[in-house]
Amino acid sequence: MNREFAARKPNHLIRIHDSRPDPLSVDLAGIKLKNPILLASGTAGYGAELSSVMDLGTVGGIILKSVTEKSRKGNPSPRIWETPCGMLNSIGLENMGVDALIDEVLPSLDGSGVTVLASIAGDTVDEYGRLAARLDGAPGVSALEVNVSCPNVEKGGIHFGAEAEATRAVASIVRENCALSFFVKLSAAVSDVARIALAARSGGASGLSLINTIPGLAVDPSTRRPRLGAVTGGLSGPAIKPIALKAIWDCYSATGLPIIGCGGIYDVDDVCEFLVAGSTAVAIGTVTFQDPERALEIIEALPRALSALGVESPGELTGSLRVWREA
Amino acid sequence: MTDEKGNRAGLLSRATLVSRQKVSRNTHILDFEIDGTTNTPGPGQFYHVDCGGGREHLLRRPLGVHGMTAPEKGAARVRLMVEVVGWGTQRLCALEPGAEVGLMGPLGRGFTPPDGGRALLVSGGIGLAPLFFLASEMDKEGSDYDFLAGFRTGDDYYPALSDLKGNIEVFTDDGTVGAKGVVSEGAVRHIGNGDYSAVFACGPEAMMEAVADACEGSGVSCQVSLTSRMACGLGFCRSCVKEGRDGRNLCVCTEGPVFDSRDVKWNGVRS
Ligand SMILES: Cc1cc2nc3c(=O)[nH]c(=O)nc-3n(C[C@H](O)[C@H](O)[C@H](O)COP(=O)(O)OP(=O)(O)OC[C@H]3O[C@@H](n4cnc5c(N)ncnc54)[C@H](O)[C@@H]3O)c2cc1C
Ligand SMILES: Cc1cc2nc3c(=O)[nH]c(=O)nc-3n(C[C@H](O)[C@H](O)[C@H](O)COP(=O)(O)O)c2cc1C
Ligand code: FES
Repeated sequence: MNREFAARKPNHLIRIHDSRPDPLSVDLAGIKLKNPILLASGTAGYGAELSSVMDLGTVGGIILKSVTEKSRKGNPSPRIWETPCGMLNSIGLENMGVDALIDEVLPSLDGSGVTVLASIAGDTVDEYGRLAARLDGAPGVSALEVNVSCPNVEKGGIHFGAEAEATRAVASIVRENCALSFFVKLSAAVSDVARIALAARSGGASGLSLINTIPGLAVDPSTRRPRLGAVTGGLSGPAIKPIALKAIWDCYSATGLPIIGCGGIYDVDDVCEFLVAGSTAVAIGTVTFQDPERALEIIEALPRALSALGVESPGELTGSLRVWREA
Repeated sequence: MTDEKGNRAGLLSRATLVSRQKVSRNTHILDFEIDGTTNTPGPGQFYHVDCGGGREHLLRRPLGVHGMTAPEKGAARVRLMVEVVGWGTQRLCALEPGAEVGLMGPLGRGFTPPDGGRALLVSGGIGLAPLFFLASEMDKEGSDYDFLAGFRTGDDYYPALSDLKGNIEVFTDDGTVGAKGVVSEGAVRHIGNGDYSAVFACGPEAMMEAVADACEGSGVSCQVSLTSRMACGLGFCRSCVKEGRDGRNLCVCTEGPVFDSRDVKWNGVRS
C-alpha cells in the first residue's frame, strides 16, 4: 500500500464518522463533486442560457463550451442533421475566446453554486499551453478539460487526439502551465484509444474524458449535397453509446485514471452502465437538447438506481465490470 | 418575461392537444392547452416541440405560433399550424385529442408590428403560419395591410384567410386558386407601386430574398422570418447560426427567427 493511500485513509474514515457524506458525492481527481452528473462541453453552452430552464446548482458540474485563444466564428450553415438515435454537428468550435470567458462567463457563474470545468482547444501545442496558463487560477474554475479533437495545424491538420505523441505533448504543456487538475478529452475514432490514454497520462493528465463525437457524413441524394455546410460532422447521442462504453473500459483498464464518461447517455440506467465501465463521473450531452432537465431527473433517480444495484454510492460501481476470466 | 410575482414563467411545459383539424392537403391546425404558465407569445415567436421521439428522434422541432388565447383564468391555449414534411410533423398531425407533448417556449424574437401606415405581408407555403397570426393581431388593432399568400396549388390553400380583415391576394403556381404565378413577383409589384410603412415576409428563402431586394430598392423596412435547423432553441449550442451580412453570426433561435432583411446575408445562406 503506497504512502498516498495511507495518508488519505484517516480522512476517509473521519468523513464516515462525523458528517455522513452525501451518498452521491464523488471525488474526481481531487475535485469534490456533489454528484457524478456533469453537463458535457458544447451541449450546455456557458451555463447562463441553460439556467433559464434549470437550476445549475444541482448538477455535479458544468463543462463549459471549449474555448480557443481568439474567438471563432465556426462553420457554415447548416450545422446539424438528425440521424437515427443521434445527430451530426459541425459547429466548428464557434466560441467567444478565453478572454471573454474569463471576463464575462466566469463572473456570471459566480454564486450559481456549480462546479465549473473549463474546456480548452487549440491549433498548436503552444496555444494549449497559453490557454492553460490563462485559466490557471481563474476565479471559479475547478478543473480543465482539454479537447484534443482539433486539427494540429503544425502537423498537417491531423487531430492531436489521433496521435499518442501529440496528445502527450499537449498534456505536458498543460501540466507545465497550470496547477489545476485536467482531463484530456479523447476521441474513440482511433485504432487504439488506450494507447492515446497512456500518452495523456504520461504527459501528466489527472484524468480522462471520453468520448468526443465520432466523425460522420450525411448525404442528400436528391441534390448530391452533404447535409452539413462543413460536409462532415461529429455524431453524438445514443447511437454512439456502445462505442463510448468500450473506450471507457479500455482506458480505465489501461490507465486506472479517473474518467468522465460521456457519449449517448439518455437516462439513469445509462449512467449506471457508464460507471460500471470505469467512469467516476459522467457528462450528459445531446439529450439535453430534447430535455434540458434530464440531468436533474437523472440526479433524482440515481439513489434508487444505485440501491437497486445493491450499492450506496456511485464510486462503488466505478470500474466494477465483471469480466469473465479463465479459471 | 416575469409574472406578477416576479417569477420567470416556465419555458418548459406539458401541453395537451385539445383539437386537431386538417385544413388543407398537408396541413393541420393543432390547439394545445398548456399545463402551467406560459409567457404570451407574439407573432413570429416559436415553440420548440418534443414530438415524443425518445432515443430515436432526439431533437425538438421548432414550430411558429399560429394563434394564442391566454384567458384571465384557466389554461392558456396555443395554436400551431403544422405542415407534414417528415417524421416529427407527421407524428404531430396524427395525434388525437388528449395526447400530450412537451413544449418549450415561447422562444425567439418575433415580428415588430408596424406603427401606423399600411403594411404588406408576404407568405410562401407554410410561412403563412406566423403571418396569419400577425394579421389577426393587426385586425385587433385595426391596422391596414395587404396580405399576399402563395401556395403551390389550390389544395394547399387555407380557407380561413378570407376571415382576415385586410386585403388578401392569393397566388398559386398552377392558378387553381387566386392568381397564377409566384407570390414574390406579386410582392415586388406591390412594393414598387405601393406606399408601405413596413413589409413582413416568411417563406422559402428565394422568395424572402426577392422581397427583401425590392424593399431595399424602395427604402421600405422589411422583416423576414428565417428558418434553420435547431438543437437547443435557447442560444447556447450554436446549431442554428447563419452568417449575417456584416459577417457576424446570426443566432436564429434567440436573435431571430425574425430579422431586419438588411442584416441577412442572402447569397450563400444554404438551407
Ligand atoms: C422558427 C421556425 C418556425 C417554424 N414554424 C413552422 C410552422 O409554424 N409550421 C410548420 O409546419 N413548420 C414550421 N417550421 C419548420 C419545421 O420546423 C420543420 O418542418 C420541422 O422541424 C420538420 O420536422 P420533421 O420531423 O417533420 O422533418 P424531418 O425532415 O424528419 O426533420 C429532421 C430534422 O430537420 C429539422 N428540419 C427539417 N425541416 C426543417 C425546417 N424547414 N426548418 C427547421 N428545421 C427543419 C427538424 O427539426 C429535425 O431536426 C419552422 C421552422 C423554424 C426554424
Ligand atoms: C452541438 C455539440 C457541440 C459540442 N461541442 C463540444 C465542444 O466544444 N468541446 C468538446 O469537447 N465537445 C463538444 N461536443 C461533444 C460532447 O461534449 C460529447 O462529447 C458528445 O456529444 C458525446 O456525448 P453525447 O452523445 O451525450 O452528446 C459537442 C457536442 C455537440 C452535440
Ligand atoms: S438552436 Fe442552439 S443556438 Fe440556436
